[in-house]
Amino acid sequence: MNYKEKIEQLLLSVQKPARYIGGEHGSVIKDKSKIDVRFAFCFPDVYDIGMSHLGMKILYALKNKRENFWCERCFMVEKDYKQVLIDNDIPLYCLESLDPLYEFDMIGFTLQYELSYTNILSMLSLGRVPVLKKDRKDLAPIVVAGGPCVCNPEPLVDFIDIFIIGEGEEVNLELMDLYSEVKKRNGTRQEFLRLAAKIEGIYVPEFYDVTYNDDGTLHSFTPNIPEAPAKIKKRVIADFDNVYFPEYFVVPYTSIVHDRSVVEVLRGCIRGCRFCQAGFIYRPFREKSVDKIKSETKSLCEQTGYDEVSLSSLSTSDHTKIAELLRTLADYTDAENVSLSLPSLRIDNFSDELLERLKTIRKSGLTFACEAGTQRLRDVINKNITEEEILSTCRTAFEGGYTTVKLYFMLGLPTETDEDIEGIAQLAHKILDAYFETPRELRGGSIQISVSTATFVPKPFTPFEFEPQATAEEIDRKQKLLVRRLQSKKIKLSTHQDDTSILEACLAKGDRRMSKAVYNAWLKGCELDSWSEHFHFEKWQEAFDECGLDMAFYANRKRDYDELMPWDHLDYLVSKRFLISENKKAHEARTTRNCKEGCSGCGIDKCYGGVYCGGKH
Amino acid sequence: MAANINRPRNMALRVERFDYRMIFSKTGRARFISHLDLMRTFSRIFKRARIPVWYTQGFNPRLYIMFPLALALGTESDVEIMDISLTEELDESELMERVNAVMPEGMHINKVYKPVMSHKDIAFSEYEIRFCLVSDTDALKSFEEYLSQEQIIVKKHSKKKGEIDVDIKSDVQVLSLDKDGEFVRLSVRLPSGNDKTVNSSLVMDGYKAFSGEEYKLIYTTRTKILTKSLETFI
Repeated sequence: MNYKEKIEQLLLSVQKPARYIGGEHGSVIKDKSKIDVRFAFCFPDVYDIGMSHLGMKILYALKNKRENFWCERCFMVEKDYKQVLIDNDIPLYCLESLDPLYEFDMIGFTLQYELSYTNILSMLSLGRVPVLKKDRKDLAPIVVAGGPCVCNPEPLVDFIDIFIIGEGEEVNLELMDLYSEVKKRNGTRQEFLRLAAKIEGIYVPEFYDVTYNDDGTLHSFTPNIPEAPAKIKKRVIADFDNVYFPEYFVVPYTSIVHDRSVVEVLRGCIRGCRFCQAGFIYRPFREKSVDKIKSETKSLCEQTGYDEVSLSSLSTSDHTKIAELLRTLADYTDAENVSLSLPSLRIDNFSDELLERLKTIRKSGLTFACEAGTQRLRDVINKNITEEEILSTCRTAFEGGYTTVKLYFMLGLPTETDEDIEGIAQLAHKILDAYFETPRELRGGSIQISVSTATFVPKPFTPFEFEPQATAEEIDRKQKLLVRRLQSKKIKLSTHQDDTSILEACLAKGDRRMSKAVYNAWLKGCELDSWSEHFHFEKWQEAFDECGLDMAFYANRKRDYDELMPWDHLDYLVSKRFLISENKKAHEARTTRNCKEGCSGCGIDKCYGGVYCGGKH
Repeated sequence: MAANINRPRNMALRVERFDYRMIFSKTGRARFISHLDLMRTFSRIFKRARIPVWYTQGFNPRLYIMFPLALALGTESDVEIMDISLTEELDESELMERVNAVMPEGMHINKVYKPVMSHKDIAFSEYEIRFCLVSDTDALKSFEEYLSQEQIIVKKHSKKKGEIDVDIKSDVQVLSLDKDGEFVRLSVRLPSGNDKTVNSSLVMDGYKAFSGEEYKLIYTTRTKILTKSLETFI
């Protein structure tokens, strides 16, 4: 009995089997005898999450456009199906061919969040690929990884052969072409890795040696072969308007998290909120033309049959032609009975027209990422929205019948005091007052304000990379203080579990030695860590202890400006000098203007296509 | 989920509707699409094919698609029924062609016509079930023994009562039972309709409980949907 027959029989007994069998509209089937490079695109989480990810859709279609490449999809399986696979001796497989992972030439993981790391080990192991890279001797399979978390890939160096730094649209194909060439002449793994190291944006960790100081900090990080550059520069698509964007999506049968067409309107962010990694690592700010966005929207809607399209970006309203864009898209979506949703809008540039437009498309609720409770602390983090902006938007919204407001905050931000925590409660109560001040005949029936707090996690390549994370005890105290200050039944508070934030901070800022701890934690059964029912912090603590590593050293220690960071060999184009100056300004509660208001000299050259780069506009 | 932009406009219109019945296949990988997901799948198919579908005229306008008879997850069929309403009269063969051009793997429209019978006329389904066992037992003989019991008691899940024992002897009409290579092939007619439905898995799970055997492979196909007088439902 072959794997396919076995799989089909077993699917009769698992939850939502459509997730494990492929065959969706848009999935690409090729004749494998005519393929030079088979690529398994792995999302280290379950199908429902992974299928919502835009990056996978882009790279899937990009690679499959090439006749001699075949890119397939692979996801982490739920515990029930994992057991079925193990009990029946079936390796983890890709959804197009149903072929096991170990048969692929290249296996690529996208690293979207730190808590998915152990799933990578599980997927390799289930797919019968040696988990440790030192145990992989042949050319195939090469395990690569990309995505935002590779900006500090060190905790994964024992498992991943190659990291792809920056944007993947060009470098993925270059890497696959190189692989194809080496494979054809029966080259070795070493040969391939050495040649790959010469490609811009490719980081091959085994070609670097690391030494440490007595206090545990990094002493040096040096290449050990001539092909490996001392600094690996991230890849950027300078001509963003002409970057490849898929004309088709794989349309799932089962419902997934983001089940709609998604069109990317801009990349990068002009804002520079000091806690936000995405705001720095995706720089510079580039956007697509209105025509391009319209034609991409049209072809995707036609191919998928979705009745909803969403615009993807870090901040959609920062598009230089936002009003024209919305008008143009609305003409199309209105005519086609497709609804348009706009996440990531900022309130400070809400024009009347935009608000008018929003009224017609969403009445689900209003969400503000305030992040901090007082103006002082919002200045520290450079989140340039004011209380008055929040309140006036709320008033308008309440008059328009909105009745739910969600507020997002972080606890444990640098320089935070109890006054800032109390400010969160005060702001929520002011919004509540604004609702009750709205004339009864205009406002909706019953108000619900949800306040969500997450624990601040300092991230590499942000001005806060030097900052310590607040300890679990401090966060606990701050949460309790907030609970005491929130007095109304109309205000609901939800707080984020802190243990996961501690682990997130460790993994985000970890060095090479942490790879062993990740491995040990996985051996103890840690996987699906982002699902609270599967998260076991004590196992992680044991794993760190076994490796002689102290979580507090990584999470709660303040770094000096001149400390060598584990990610300093990577160049995300934003200069260290700028990060340091931003950090200093943060401690003085001084804000920095956004790119649109004028260049602040973050270090990115105008050759990378940034709309506002290289001087004042 | 964002609300429909055109809601007010749609609601103001009183749209004439044209009913069509489609007979479709659900085979191969598509047999794992659940009944719940089928609705969503078809609404996207019609959107892709740019079929002028009729929306329900209620507060939340929805595509009008009806599946009178659910097909169990994992069962294949070439005779599934779907009713749909359009806002325009379309030529049936054109409609079929346009929809088939955008269907996913394993799904296909086989016939399109104006509905003749009413859903409540559906009374029976016929299935062909092919299976082989993990053990070396003579599956044909053992299955014959199972069917020839005076009562065929099987466990049935009931929403209200939990798991209950029911006798399905009188409901199981065996049309043929023979060998097909290494497989046993059972052709069977079971009640399926508003009054009573016996799922083919009840029969097959009953055999497992009766014999203690496990299926190595099992393939179930619905082959016919019939009325009380055993006419094909149209």
